[in-house]
Amino acid sequence: MEFTPYQIIAPAISIFALSYAWSLVLRQKKTIWEGALWTFFWAAIALIALFPDVLDYLMFAMGFKNRENALLITFLGILSFIVFYLIVRVEELEHRQTKIVRSVALREAGLVRNGKKHEEVKNNGVSE
Amino acid sequence: MKIVAVIPAFNEEKRIEAVVRGTQQFVDQVIVVDDGSTDGTALTVENVGAMVVQHGENCGAGAATMTGIEAARRSGAEVIVTLDADEQHDPHDIPALLQPIVEGRADIVFANRFGQRNRIPLIRRVFNAIGNFVTLIVTGKWVNDSQCGFKAFGPRAAKEVRIRMNGYEFCTELVRESVHHRWRSVEIPIKVVYSEYTLAKGQSFTTGVKTALKILLRSFLR
Repeated sequence: MEFTPYQIIAPAISIFALSYAWSLVLRQKKTIWEGALWTFFWAAIALIALFPDVLDYLMFAMGFKNRENALLITFLGILSFIVFYLIVRVEELEHRQTKIVRSVALREAGLVRNGKKHEEVKNNGVSE
Repeated sequence: MKIVAVIPAFNEEKRIEAVVRGTQQFVDQVIVVDDGSTDGTALTVENVGAMVVQHGENCGAGAATMTGIEAARRSGAEVIVTLDADEQHDPHDIPALLQPIVEGRADIVFANRFGQRNRIPLIRRVFNAIGNFVTLIVTGKWVNDSQCGFKAFGPRAAKEVRIRMNGYEFCTELVRESVHHRWRSVEIPIKVVYSEYTLAKGQSFTTGVKTALKILLRSFLR
């Protein structure tokens, strides 16, 4: 059986992503349920890469019949990734803003204790 | 055991006084987080003798609740109760919410608006059912009223809780936290008062969809 580069890269990325997800579960940063959701997602990616025939069902349901459509879908995938990346960045900025607003609010309320600032910031996600 | 109530508020000048006065009967301290209000919410709260923590910008219900929890911790709270500022929740239900914590049966207590006969509009029931379903998908835990802001945190939960979501999706995050930290949870039926005001101020369909998408996205980003 011959493998295309995609059939090697996609499962490799899936294995890496799954290892990362389960390492987060082991470090108690993700729940087992979230680990299971990720496993389902990445297993589906790997399965489709290794056995593209499973997409025949999808093709039948959605009416894909040629390569042009496949190309279009690929670009849609890339666009989705860019949107996903932008959302992540916006979320990060939103969090930074919230941290600043929170730290100012707590300070103005006289609730920042001297000498414990940094430790509390690290433990509670409140930055100074 | 010091019990502190946290009330996130945004432009609730007309209702906050009654909520604070009602709550003060059942807790040791009330902390109101004024989430960037443009009316006199903060002044009203100060006049009734509660602590105000003021956000310079409107950050959302989740962010305000986390700020309140952080303020409560720094004030020495061992037990924290959170409730809405729009008079939707009856402070007389606070003792019932605290009971499982006092008895050592629970780390977190979820209020359940559907646990007793309440006049809840159909659209609200539908939104909540969707919220419960999305919460089940991302956390694996079913809570009968996952989207209710009325909750009580026992000493362990009060110490460990960390909300990262800014908006209404924080309710789902709290269910996730309870799974993550393996808190013992209990659900208590409560009364709820829906007025034209609370219905208008609550989540719209668009907000509900946005919230659901954010929850799903967050579960992947984490």
